[in-house]
Amino acid sequence: MPYQAEISRKNPGCFVFLIDQSESMEDPFGGGEDGRRKAEELATILNKLIHNLCIRCAKSDSIYDYFHVGVLGYSEDSCKPALGGELSGRPLVPISELAIKPLRIEERMKKADDGAGGVVEQTVKFPVWFDPYWKGGTPMCAALKEATGIVETWCQEHSKGFPPIVINITDGEATDGDLVAEARKLTAVGCDDGSVLLFNIHLSSTAGPSIELPSSGSKLPDQHAKQLFEASSRLTPFMVARANELGMSAAENSRGFIFNAQPLHVIHFLDIGTRPANVHLR
Amino acid sequence: MKDAKAGRECDIKVFSCPKLGNSLEEYEDASAHRHTRTQVGMRVAVADGATESSFAKFWAVLLAETYVRSELTGAEFFDRLTPARRLWRRRLSGRPLPWFASEKAEQGAFAAFLGVQIDAHKNRWTALAVGDCCLMQVDNVGKRMRVVETFPLQKSSQFTMSPYLIGSKSNDESLNERIQISKGDLRDGDMLLLATDAVAAWLLKQHEDGRPLWKWLYRKLGTPGSFAAMVAYGRQHGLRNDDYTLVRVIHHDSRVEAKES
Repeated sequence: MPYQAEISRKNPGCFVFLIDQSESMEDPFGGGEDGRRKAEELATILNKLIHNLCIRCAKSDSIYDYFHVGVLGYSEDSCKPALGGELSGRPLVPISELAIKPLRIEERMKKADDGAGGVVEQTVKFPVWFDPYWKGGTPMCAALKEATGIVETWCQEHSKGFPPIVINITDGEATDGDLVAEARKLTAVGCDDGSVLLFNIHLSSTAGPSIELPSSGSKLPDQHAKQLFEASSRLTPFMVARANELGMSAAENSRGFIFNAQPLHVIHFLDIGTRPANVHLR
Repeated sequence: MKDAKAGRECDIKVFSCPKLGNSLEEYEDASAHRHTRTQVGMRVAVADGATESSFAKFWAVLLAETYVRSELTGAEFFDRLTPARRLWRRRLSGRPLPWFASEKAEQGAFAAFLGVQIDAHKNRWTALAVGDCCLMQVDNVGKRMRVVETFPLQKSSQFTMSPYLIGSKSNDESLNERIQISKGDLRDGDMLLLATDAVAAWLLKQHEDGRPLWKWLYRKLGTPGSFAAMVAYGRQHGLRNDDYTLVRVIHHDSRVEAKES
């Protein structure tokens, strides 16, 4: 049965994030009610995803390399590795290295339970790996091609491991070709345990209810969303079960597609060992 | 492997093994056993520190040791974990941690827990559990040993990768709904197995599939070598890679033995 390979330090998992940095990401997010741009929403999502992956892999006073992570940004007419600072130019980085090499660590205030029914303000570390950026067109097909090359190499080097997961975060309009055809080429790559999985996170300017892991594209609001749904892989049975445990509504035919919602739960779709049900996700 | 005799009433053997690919230092289960204060029985505990939590081994040890040193058999045991939690916090205090380790430690450590008190004179057991460590009681009557009780889970399909666990920071509101208690009678020769999740799930699956290992566990399991052989066989036959802990208790009715002697 596919998608059964154990994720371990010897056989790590692989996440590749494709990040839309086109000009349209300057537009307001989700109807613009809170004054945020899509590019800002995307940067927040990506920083939180990497942050949460680091926390998942943290073990006592160290961090285990259960995952390698790549971030590719696409804008103007090209796609390139988008991590900055010391990680600049690297297509894939072990999570332990990401954890110690953010662009900067900010200190932010967070409200927390004081244990006596009240609320206290706490200072928390907030690492930043990625800042908002937007320019030019949306070469999403180029990004999928670039990702195909990266996961092909990964699968050759980790043929017994869990197949890579590519997560594309975009506002949906490819300007350089047939998105679905390129996605098919990407998900045709695989290792012994199954094909590469492609998930799409659609950040739309359209206001409206969030949609998570749909089984059909019929309720999606526009053609771009429908195309991204079409390009998204089906969830594995474990992912469906985990999504339901985490309070998302997923069914047998659910696809890895999220419309205007925080996709943080997605990084928990891969199993690295017992996860306490009573730890609430940030 | 650790052996113990509780007077003549209990023969206890403890077997354990870290996850394949991990070192012994990374093994995060714990077990403990000890006479009850009145010396008429034993208290036995296993705990399974969650992979996705930090400093979980220490928390599992604290839970198991706290149980065997306590006299409580009901839900009130979980209200008396303050000293254990203080010890867990003290282990971390003043320790310089990078941001990710500090944030993970802030969530606390988590462990599944199973404690069993065996009253040797009354031939009864009382078990207390949160999470998916499992007790299996098997009798020694007839050719096919019979499963008398499995607690708190009954089927291999009930094990998940996200059980509710005991946290090292504090009890959360939903703990009371998750505490499970069971009691049972013991007959001479009964075997009690306390196991962490992967071993328990596999033993139950073997039983469900008509290939029970109860007789082998009763008669052949005796040394670390025999446990290693079982694990090697299991890994070829569906035993999930994890830390493994199995405590085998064979109960001898002291009244029966008294008659025989």
